[in-house]
Amino acid sequence: MDRGFLSSIELKTLKGRVYYGVTVVILTLLALIVLFPFVYAFTSGLKGSLEVFNSGLNLIPQKAQWHNYRDAWEDFKMLKLFRNSFIIVTVSVLLRLTVSVMAAYSLSQLKPFGRQLVMLAFLLTLMIPSIAYLVPLFVTLGNLPIVHKSILDSYWGLWIPYAADAFGIFVLKSFFDRIPPDITDSAKIDGASSFQTLVYIVLPLSRSIIIILGILSFMNIWKDYLLPLLVISDPERQPITVRLFYVAKDYGVNLQMAAAFMALLPPLLIAILMQRYLKAGLTMGSIKG
Amino acid sequence: MKLTYALQTTRTITRPFSVLPYRLTRHLNGYLFLLPAIIVFALVAWYPIVRAFQMSFQEVSLIGESKNVGFENYELMKKDPARKIIFENSIEFASWSILLGYAVPVVVAILVREIRFGKGFFRIVYFLPSVVPVSIAVIVWRFIYDPDSGILNEFLELFGIKGQLWLYDPKLAKPSIVAVMTWGTFGTTTLIYLSSLLDIPTELYEAAELDGASPLMRIRHITLPHLFPIMSLLFVLQILAVVQVFTEPFLFTKGGPGRRETLTPVLHIYNRAFGRADMGYAAAWSVVLVIVLVAFSAFYQIVNRRIAARQEN
Repeated sequence: MDRGFLSSIELKTLKGRVYYGVTVVILTLLALIVLFPFVYAFTSGLKGSLEVFNSGLNLIPQKAQWHNYRDAWEDFKMLKLFRNSFIIVTVSVLLRLTVSVMAAYSLSQLKPFGRQLVMLAFLLTLMIPSIAYLVPLFVTLGNLPIVHKSILDSYWGLWIPYAADAFGIFVLKSFFDRIPPDITDSAKIDGASSFQTLVYIVLPLSRSIIIILGILSFMNIWKDYLLPLLVISDPERQPITVRLFYVAKDYGVNLQMAAAFMALLPPLLIAILMQRYLKAGLTMGSIKG
Repeated sequence: MKLTYALQTTRTITRPFSVLPYRLTRHLNGYLFLLPAIIVFALVAWYPIVRAFQMSFQEVSLIGESKNVGFENYELMKKDPARKIIFENSIEFASWSILLGYAVPVVVAILVREIRFGKGFFRIVYFLPSVVPVSIAVIVWRFIYDPDSGILNEFLELFGIKGQLWLYDPKLAKPSIVAVMTWGTFGTTTLIYLSSLLDIPTELYEAAELDGASPLMRIRHITLPHLFPIMSLLFVLQILAVVQVFTEPFLFTKGGPGRRETLTPVLHIYNRAFGRADMGYAAAWSVVLVIVLVAFSAFYQIVNRRIAARQEN
């Protein structure tokens, strides 16, 4: 039966009810604190440009100025910012999943010579904090070895770094390892090439883990700040995380809040809609340092 | 006989390198699938890692031209007046982060586990700030912290507490930043603790209850010992993460409010590399930072193991 440190019988006693009541009150208060910045951004975005500075705890605007949201949308060129972020993140996720799935499939099923060493080299990047090589990464992207071309200020400068994900390879490999060899063997006997086995047998079996990794990657890349700040200096092409903060100070606080609230919505919606997958993915994904 | 024949024909049809012996084909095929990952990792991880060491002994210009200078960058580091401040700041940031944020997810996870109704609601609410981009959250938070018209000072006034400068106060800037970081990350940590709590067999609680242990004693003697290994791991991970913080101090205070109260190692590296175009010097800082962090976690592991061993004896 489901129980924590309190049993169901105890919950019916006075003492148990006090414990339970205190728990609910603490958690509710905490939920209010956690949600406060979102609510505050929303209601401040509805206030007049001077009203936001009024003293006192006036959370609710005197008269809701809904046009603030339209103004902020246009002034901040939100559509373009969202589109930039979306292009950067979607292509990065697709590229990352393709690269990781292929590598994990090779390490798990094709087992080429020296694979342990390759795996170790992938995992090494999880152990070394990325700040260690951020500066040389920037220099490398500005002057690619061999071809001597710069991919700074182009989305390739983000897509390629984001495609390297040792954690994803590791998770996928351990998932592929659990696929019964009978299934892949029978595909081989039927004459499937390794590529066909991957596409028609392994991928359909691992749909759930790929969706989880895809969502986690989407969230993390959407959130990232430092790399896009360094790589994309053209304001027309910067993602929303970089550009919105930079232009915000030129506008009134009420418009800043309206724009910030709109910028917060997509990740929040994804988190709420995809919580089924996130729940599984997060406990697995967060202990990576 | 028939089967082997069939097998061999299909093999010849589907093998990409059919002239080569089968074993070699398999390995080549395996590396064909590994190739994209190897190229990407070599370009954005392995090569830059090697370059980081190399660059720390060089003077590197923005366009990537480099000149060997020996240990000059490391000599300069010794004289850098920011070095001592950054070291102290890191320790203060880590202490604030542990003080304000370490116990919160443990308590919250234990309490959420106890809730019989609406567990999912709390879980998702606490998690929501984790998906928010820091740079967007900073826009909202810096207005909450605003000394003149921010709602935090207005709220404290209700209790007769004088308004504070928060981010502009050299003493309060660090805890103010750490509070936002805690808001942004405690939900994820709570989920980790929650999933670990589900592994506790309920029989343990039942037995303790029958023996007359009060609810708090049950938490003390059953719940916390169960969480301890994860708590110990997350302790060191939290410190490693907060020492490497960049975005929050960069956007909130630029290392200020005064001269260097919130200057962190990564912020210093950023300033040197991209503000002053001193890539080699920044690389030397990165190398030293990583060595310090690795040494710290190794030291922590050893101490941890010693303590665990002593408890068993």
